[in-house]
Amino acid sequence: MKRPVRLEPGQKLVLTANRLLDGRTVWWGADGTWDLHIGRAALLDANDAEAALSRAVEQAQHDGVVGVYDAAVKAVTPPEPVTVREKIRAYGPTVHPEFAVETEQ
Amino acid sequence: MSLPVGHYQYDRIDRDFLQARIAEFEGQVNRRLDGTLSEDEFKPLRLMNGLYLQLHAYMLRVAIPYGILDSRQLRKLGEIARRYDRDYGHFTTRQNIQFNWIRLEDTPAILRELAEVDMHAIQTSGNCIRNVTADEYAGAAADELVDPRVHAEILRQWSTLHPEFTFLPRKFKIAISGSPNDRVAARFHDIGILARPGEDGAPVFRIFVGGGLGRTPIIGEELFDSVREEHLLATLEAIVRVYNAHGRRDNIYKARIKILVQAIGVEAYREAVEAELAQMDLERYRLTPEAVAAIRSRFAVPLLEAPSDADAVLAEQRRADPIFDRWVRSNTHVHRDPGHIIATISLKPAGGIPGDATSAQIGRLADLADAYSFGEIRITHLQNVVLGHVRKDRLRDLWLGLAEVGLAEANIGLIGDIVACPGLDYCALANARSIPIAQKLGARFADTALQAEIGALRINISGCINACGHHHAGHIGLLGVDKRGEEFFQLTVGGRAENGAAIGMILGAALPEDETVDAIARLVDCYLGRREGGETFLDTLTRLGHEPFREAAYETV
Ligand code: HEM
Ligand code: SF4
Repeated sequence: MKRPVRLEPGQKLVLTANRLLDGRTVWWGADGTWDLHIGRAALLDANDAEAALSRAVEQAQHDGVVGVYDAAVKAVTPPEPVTVREKIRAYGPTVHPEFAVETEQ
Repeated sequence: MSLPVGHYQYDRIDRDFLQARIAEFEGQVNRRLDGTLSEDEFKPLRLMNGLYLQLHAYMLRVAIPYGILDSRQLRKLGEIARRYDRDYGHFTTRQNIQFNWIRLEDTPAILRELAEVDMHAIQTSGNCIRNVTADEYAGAAADELVDPRVHAEILRQWSTLHPEFTFLPRKFKIAISGSPNDRVAARFHDIGILARPGEDGAPVFRIFVGGGLGRTPIIGEELFDSVREEHLLATLEAIVRVYNAHGRRDNIYKARIKILVQAIGVEAYREAVEAELAQMDLERYRLTPEAVAAIRSRFAVPLLEAPSDADAVLAEQRRADPIFDRWVRSNTHVHRDPGHIIATISLKPAGGIPGDATSAQIGRLADLADAYSFGEIRITHLQNVVLGHVRKDRLRDLWLGLAEVGLAEANIGLIGDIVACPGLDYCALANARSIPIAQKLGARFADTALQAEIGALRINISGCINACGHHHAGHIGLLGVDKRGEEFFQLTVGGRAENGAAIGMILGAALPEDETVDAIARLVDCYLGRREGGETFLDTLTRLGHEPFREAAYETV
């Protein structure tokens, strides 16, 4: 799924996937591990993201994740996904505040 | 063990098959986990077993053949929700149930638990013949001509693991009804079947083909008016064969049977089916009265006994309690037995999530089914639950029991009875969230007196063009669209799935999410202000046309 990345000023890319075992949404961290919390995601420039993405795709089976791709975020703390879809992936279904990912360890 | 009321009793062959299938899938899961199978290899295998990957987790779709469950099965679904999910399940427009927070590694264990109660997730996905849906009032409604469940079961057996139809060009959905009042959306299915009694006592079948929603909504066309029972399977086999041979496989958006029927015309399709029938060994497919009787004998018949004053007791209770009376008005249907009544339990509490039920509610529904309706439960394609055979003099006790678990909402067929797909809160294909809009609308029109005043009005919401929420068939339809990552909704009016099926007309440009509820409220006000006599929303719309509604929806303050 290759598409040209066009980032607006102040935006970066993060890598995301789903965990193989339970399907949960995860984000790629600077230490190379996948985490439930987008707050721990590594913020990448468009150029770095391409290499990181192909490495992560190669490593996916080893890391126990599926469907790796990149998503644009506003580079604030914690990073804020640009699309509603990625916001929902990051924070959980909006209709179940009790399942908010932020409240999980 | 006594026979279940309402659905077919499995035998040894069914059960052995399920166990073998689970063992096979468990092997596939293990090979996926150890890396022997790649995700690309595994995906079609898991889909064949009803396991999807959504935004936050795996989703398991469990088949409920023709929407009918017994209490032991429903209780098991509640236990699965509690043990393996987050304490709730979601009933769908295909009369199935979905669990939204499933772990891949738990799936074989869940399938084993389901098999304990003769349930599975097979053919709930993939390009095969999917779960056959049937009239939710089957075998109970006063207006029914033929009980469609026996034939629905025959279709289930015919289509399950049908070797020729495992890799169709696209998925294939069949619905069957035996009532002159279409409650299955027969004309929005790949094949829709309406049964009625034939001259010799055996039923005959009117068959529609090529209906569907999704990207290209099309109303099914009549292929045959009167197929005899003995030729039902041969005819269906021939219809699906023609599709299998000529349906497009090069373009997923043009692969459904509806596109083929439109491309060649229904006459040419009929000729192709007749040509196929002419060279088939009809003897092999003949559905004999004995075969039908054998299937029928595996369904228990409920013993419908009621005291002679049951009707009078109910009438008195309604007089004494207007709140109960309002619920009876909207949530019941006439039973073929004068001492009984059909109760529809709304899974649409004001401000709630359409079709969701907690494990506690699911467990209570199973108990109430045991107490009031022969342990039988039906799931409707409008995401509600039906108890089919309730004694009239006990209806109020049932209602009180429902109220204890928040299931006594009086809104069936009214504006609060909203159908919505999971949308962007769960679904990987979505453009917009369907559930929050449904919740806001539900809250806006929460007042049951107001709902009764508005009358018959169905809202359907889909989060994308795949139309799982049947928005094209809604009296008011909402379709989620994505504009630069933001949620918008396109409004349609005038759709209907009942008799006189129609596809809703688009009112105008899509509205931002936060303006949509107000626009619908203005639409409804426009109807209330201009309706005459006892008109429903659809009546007023038909009389006035779309323009006043368009103006109301887009009016800005
Ligand atoms: C993650 C969950 C789901 C996925 C990935 C999914 C996927 C799809 C896709 C791709 C289509 C389009 C098929 C086509 O145009 O040929 C579709 C249509 C449909 N889905 Fe779903 N779906 C999901 C959930 C549901 C749910 C919850 C329901 C019921 C409430 C449902 C019922 C339907 C129906 C009735 C259609 C029919 C359209 C037709 O007849 O053409 N789906 N779904
Ligand atoms: S209509 Fe679209 S958003 Fe809704 S469940 Fe179907 S595929 Fe998902």
